[in-house]
Amino acid sequence: MRLVLFSSYVPFVNGGGKFIVEWLAEKLRERGHQVERVYLPFSDAPKDLLWQMTAFRLVKIDGADRVICFRPPAHLLQHPNKVLWFIHHLRGFYDLWDTDGAPRHTPYYKALRRAIFQADRVALNEAHAIFANSRVVQKRLKKFNDVDSAVLYPPLLDPTAYCNRGYGDEVTYVSRLGPYKRQHLLVEAMAQVKTAVTARICGAVPGGLYSKELLRLASKLGIADRVSIENRWISEEEKRDIIGRSLAVAYFPLDEDSYGYPSLEAAHSQKPVITTTDAGGVLELVTHEHNGLVCDPDPKAVAEALDRLYSDRELVKALGSKAAETVEKLHINWDNVIDSLLA
Amino acid sequence: MRGGAEELAGHLCARLNSTPGVIAEVLRVPFSWEPFERLADEIFLNRTLQLSNVDRVIGLKFPAYLIPHHTKVLWVLHQYRQAYDLRDRAESNIPETPAGEKICELIRRADAEVFSGCQSIFTISKTTQDRLKRYNGVEASVLMQPLNYPELFSNGGDSGYLFAGGRINPGKRQHLLVEAMAATKSGAKLIVAGPPDTPDDANRLQEMVRRLNLEDRVVLDLGYHPLAKIADYVNHARACAYLPVDEDSVAYVTMEAASASKPVITLTDSGGVLQLVLNGETGCVASPDVKSIAEAIDLLCSDAARSAQMGRAARRLWDSFEVTWPNTIEKLLS
Repeated sequence: MRLVLFSSYVPFVNGGGKFIVEWLAEKLRERGHQVERVYLPFSDAPKDLLWQMTAFRLVKIDGADRVICFRPPAHLLQHPNKVLWFIHHLRGFYDLWDTDGAPRHTPYYKALRRAIFQADRVALNEAHAIFANSRVVQKRLKKFNDVDSAVLYPPLLDPTAYCNRGYGDEVTYVSRLGPYKRQHLLVEAMAQVKTAVTARICGAVPGGLYSKELLRLASKLGIADRVSIENRWISEEEKRDIIGRSLAVAYFPLDEDSYGYPSLEAAHSQKPVITTTDAGGVLELVTHEHNGLVCDPDPKAVAEALDRLYSDRELVKALGSKAAETVEKLHINWDNVIDSLLA
Repeated sequence: MRGGAEELAGHLCARLNSTPGVIAEVLRVPFSWEPFERLADEIFLNRTLQLSNVDRVIGLKFPAYLIPHHTKVLWVLHQYRQAYDLRDRAESNIPETPAGEKICELIRRADAEVFSGCQSIFTISKTTQDRLKRYNGVEASVLMQPLNYPELFSNGGDSGYLFAGGRINPGKRQHLLVEAMAATKSGAKLIVAGPPDTPDDANRLQEMVRRLNLEDRVVLDLGYHPLAKIADYVNHARACAYLPVDEDSVAYVTMEAASASKPVITLTDSGGVLQLVLNGETGCVASPDVKSIAEAIDLLCSDAARSAQMGRAARRLWDSFEVTWPNTIEKLLS
């Protein structure tokens, strides 16, 4: 098939929204399909939304048998054979409308919200098929747009590259650094642990403000010797090694749309994930005391989870091997993805 | 679809990324121009996109160069020529109707606005510079595209054959060259190597070589070749030939020949190529007819010394242009 993968992007930002497209392109090519990726720039400043949505609606893609659309507003594309792999809404106008993350409820933005809902209704109903990248997104599609979709979990590019290299004493948090990923929760928890467990936090952050905050926090709490914090890009190889040797993986995003690649990397490496009850999509993969530990989002609860895993290696092994099994059970693999998207 | 513009964008991006303090990405926007009314949508959508998180935009092609940005430099590889010179020559998809006129007007106004709002405007050749001046009233500077792998092209000696590289299609007029071969008197040999645009383009040449009984003097090596193989053909040639119709740029084929100190045969109506091919000095500029081309071939193929002398002059002229990637990057970032 001749396939175009169509998404929006912010120049110079490499996130999960881009990986899902790049990796799918590679896997489709391996299976002999002709693939082109089309990314158009998109700024999510609320005042610029309407015009940009119009632009995306007007895009014409010739010569493709099927177009797979990802990040909004790519789904607005007009194409006779359009499949959506929906990864999130314009959240400020959907699930975050009544939070601080929303634009002010002025008459303009209320009207814009109605316009967005209408545009989405049209675009969603045109699609040949709709897949959500998580149950969270699936539920939002049902709740806000009254649209049924199937869950299609995004796999890692090369899952077999992740493996268990033994259980060390270190809990790792390898992810983009940022307040919404709440690495500070791990730092604060480390001040309350009673065992000799150590922690490593690493990943890149633009600007570096948050990483400085983390460093200050660690030194204020007097635990800088047991928590390493590095603001830098971690290569795939290094990441596999860090996770592969870890005791467990920490991942505390606030209300994430999907399980997040860090959870999946942990599972493929047979490591338990410590996460929080408010982590959103992560909970689709991580079940308390089955393949990880789910605790309240407070330092004391996290500290208890860290100590528990440090002290009970049999539990770590049991949870870790269940984590790997979970990936199988949820059919998180490329064959399933591609069969679904091309059906 | 990929062509020279995509290749140039890719190289430019790589060169920018190896410049200290710079990170670059290529942004490609799909473009379709049929039916012609579609052009209005294309203009609107490109002018409506938003580019955040970017310090500088280098615009290369219509309509992508319309995407707004506060710091934009244009290196114009492609205007929509069907609204300009090609329309004057009745080679446009935009009809001579009131609706067609409106679309042309829209294109010209969008161009005028982007030209007046950008920091600087470069074109890849004098041809495009003249066109911008004539149709848009805009003064641009010429910034030729550099060779991407200049080190591959250097004189490897004279094996006596004439070499014609580049894409194969009627616009590049390899058929004229083959016909001219039949009219030569010097026993010249020709190698044609490059990818045909369509199977018909390949068949046409092959059939012509057979019909004119040129099998022993004309080799057709059709298909996509690695650059190293092309370089090998160029470096050992007596001379090169490139006969495009009104080419916008000097063209890689011409630059590669000059870099390897080979004279080039081209035609009076080949456009940008003529910046590097001066008749009798760095090559031969023939009229677009078989007899004239055959004379040019005979001149170069019967006189190795003269040919080598022209080749050295071609190399000197090319060097004097100082067209290198470091110079190009410096201008685009200044």
